[in-house]
Amino acid sequence: MKRIGKPVFFIVFVIILLLAFTSVFGIYGENGDFKITYIKGINDIRWGIDINGGVEAVFAPDNKDATDDEMESVKAILELRLVAQNVTDYEIYPDFANDRITVRFPWKSDEKDYDPDKAIEELSATAKLSFRSGSSYDGDVIIEGKDVKKAYSNYQQTAKGNYQHVVVLELNDEGADKFAAGTKANKDGTISIWMDEECISNPSVSETITTGTAIISGSFDASSAAKLANTINAGALPFGLKVESYSTISPSLGSSALEAMGYASIAALICIFLFMLFMYKLPGFIAFIALIGQMAISIMAISGYFPVFPSFTMTIPGIAGLILSIGMGVDANIITAERIKDELWTGKTLDGCIRNGTKGSFSAIFDGNITVIIVAVILILVFGPANIFSAIFGVSTTGLIYAFGYTLLVGVIANFIMGVGASRLMLKSVSGYKFLRNKRLYGGKKSS
Amino acid sequence: MRQTFHIDFMKKSKIFFCVSLGIMLVCLVLNIFVFPTLVDIQFTGGTIIKYSYDGDLDTAALEKTVNETIEKSETLNDTVTFSYSENLAKSAQDSNSKIVSLQFTGNKAVSVEDKTAITEALQKAYPDNTIKEASSSSVDASKGTNFFFKCLAAVIVAAVLMIFYVALRFRKIGGLSAGVMAVVALVHDLIIVYFVFAMFRMPLNDNFIAVVLMILGYSLNDTIVIYDRIRELRRKSSPKTPLNDIVNTSLNQCMVRTICTSITTIIAIGSVLVVSLIYNIDSIVSFALPMMIGLISGSYSSLCIAAPLWVMWRNHQSKKKAALKASESKETSKKSKKKKAASEK
Repeated sequence: MKRIGKPVFFIVFVIILLLAFTSVFGIYGENGDFKITYIKGINDIRWGIDINGGVEAVFAPDNKDATDDEMESVKAILELRLVAQNVTDYEIYPDFANDRITVRFPWKSDEKDYDPDKAIEELSATAKLSFRSGSSYDGDVIIEGKDVKKAYSNYQQTAKGNYQHVVVLELNDEGADKFAAGTKANKDGTISIWMDEECISNPSVSETITTGTAIISGSFDASSAAKLANTINAGALPFGLKVESYSTISPSLGSSALEAMGYASIAALICIFLFMLFMYKLPGFIAFIALIGQMAISIMAISGYFPVFPSFTMTIPGIAGLILSIGMGVDANIITAERIKDELWTGKTLDGCIRNGTKGSFSAIFDGNITVIIVAVILILVFGPANIFSAIFGVSTTGLIYAFGYTLLVGVIANFIMGVGASRLMLKSVSGYKFLRNKRLYGGKKSS
Repeated sequence: MRQTFHIDFMKKSKIFFCVSLGIMLVCLVLNIFVFPTLVDIQFTGGTIIKYSYDGDLDTAALEKTVNETIEKSETLNDTVTFSYSENLAKSAQDSNSKIVSLQFTGNKAVSVEDKTAITEALQKAYPDNTIKEASSSSVDASKGTNFFFKCLAAVIVAAVLMIFYVALRFRKIGGLSAGVMAVVALVHDLIIVYFVFAMFRMPLNDNFIAVVLMILGYSLNDTIVIYDRIRELRRKSSPKTPLNDIVNTSLNQCMVRTICTSITTIIAIGSVLVVSLIYNIDSIVSFALPMMIGLISGSYSSLCIAAPLWVMWRNHQSKKKAALKASESKETSKKSKKKKAASEK
């Protein structure tokens, strides 16, 4: 067999230790008073609402049928209100097939007595759009949401001849009359646009508009123009929002759960280490090193270690999945170690046994993981925010199990890299050392 | 090949079947008469609000306060079931250690306004108990039904994929009959998982679906490894070796691997279970406990149900074939005798 060099073990071992260390603690730098995150560690993981506490609510329009454009408007107004409430770490999932929008956001860490009921009520309140003269909320109301026919973003030539993104505002007849009067009174002044008590735009009036079609221009890009148009449309929606389902969790319930799961994972790791060492000696020890590597990769996939992958919202079932994947992950090492034992008992040389053992076990390991992959993918699909299943049955009320599917899948993939790849490299490399060539270390009979 | 165990699985198979059927029968009777199946509000719709509080509380008075608030409300006309528990691990932010949970019987979502009214009434009536809303969850009935069908669709898709995989894999191992027996073992495990939920009074919810899918994958994997070994051994041994012996040897050889993998997996999920019991995290207990028992059942059914059942089926088939051949040969001999007689006439 092509021998794998003795130092390979140490190279793999050091790489695993490095991965484990950086994935847990992250790498941070300091630039004056600013903390720079180079690599995200465990502290940067975004915890789900079952750990941090928070609110999840599903909103639906009062009258059942809303068009996709109307749903976009609903989404725009919910986002606006979340930001107005100082919530920036929200997740929002529109479900166009079933006209529902799921909003999920954690508690703000500095707030002690946050009122979830009030937050939900404010989000679902009927949108109050108003155009007011001047740039303050005290100004006279010129037109309201019911006067607006629709708003849309456009890319068009202006009077100066250059092309730019604008928002076109179309009013109904009643609105057109009011707006004509308003623009006349405020010519060369400003008319501000308000959603609830939030100023969303502050355009100046350049002429009296009597046609009922106004153009808001300014430094828009495609997305900001669309956003303003959506928000104005939200104020003109012919329906309110109702809260279809909600769940709130106080932070005190979740924080002890995180601590608990931390203990559980450490306990599981230690017990499995002892068990593997007792059952399989040297391959068992190597299995444990590989297991640390597997954990590190899983944590990396969750925390957003590599900037390409966004960080993942982690829940308690997600952590349970992570711990479960440790337990199932050693299966690869167990199958290989058992095969090597079998081979050793036939009396072959150590190198031959290790070669045959690792070769023969791959198909069994692969087979075993296929079913788990199928299950994990289905779990992700069923409990995930938006996918083929939600097109038929709507977005799930709970996203907690989603993380379980994700960690399970990541665990299996990490297991292929570490439990299969890295442990074989280490095992073959280690068997090059003379003092580690005793067959008993691999579960064989005493070598003579 | 090395063999550590010498258990005659085939001889004991009847005991295994009886144990499995017996457990199921007892659970079924209990399920029907004592512990009816509970279904979570995630599927039925409804509302549960949990309040944490400190010190002693007159539970009868508390229930009265809640009921009075409900009577005042125009939109609410449900009755409420109360349950009390104690959270052993106190957290830094909240010194409240006791929890009262209010479950509304109606399957319409309790509106946020009504919930606020209840919270305020309770806080006003019991200022010394520092009542706080610990968690609430409210699901509209239609949304619950949707979610239920989505889960059902997921289980069906998973089952179809698994059966497809079984058909693909078992073409080489033991053919259709082996595949069918593997599915029987899967059904066995799912029934056990269901009874764990029923017996421990845990409502069927998204955890149930997650556990069911997980056990499907895990148990099938175990069974495939065992059938694989049977196939390998059959190829190596002479065609005259009885199937009983081959399967017995295979099972004993696979046992170490199956048990070791189960042990590490059970260590993992067991530590989750123990810790969540200590910290009183209901949502994880109802995930880890059925998962653990399901894993045990999965390994057990692969070793003691799937393989012996298949052997019994094969033996039954070959006996039938033999009997058929025998009777056929008798028939032909009779006929030929008659023919002989006729020709003689």
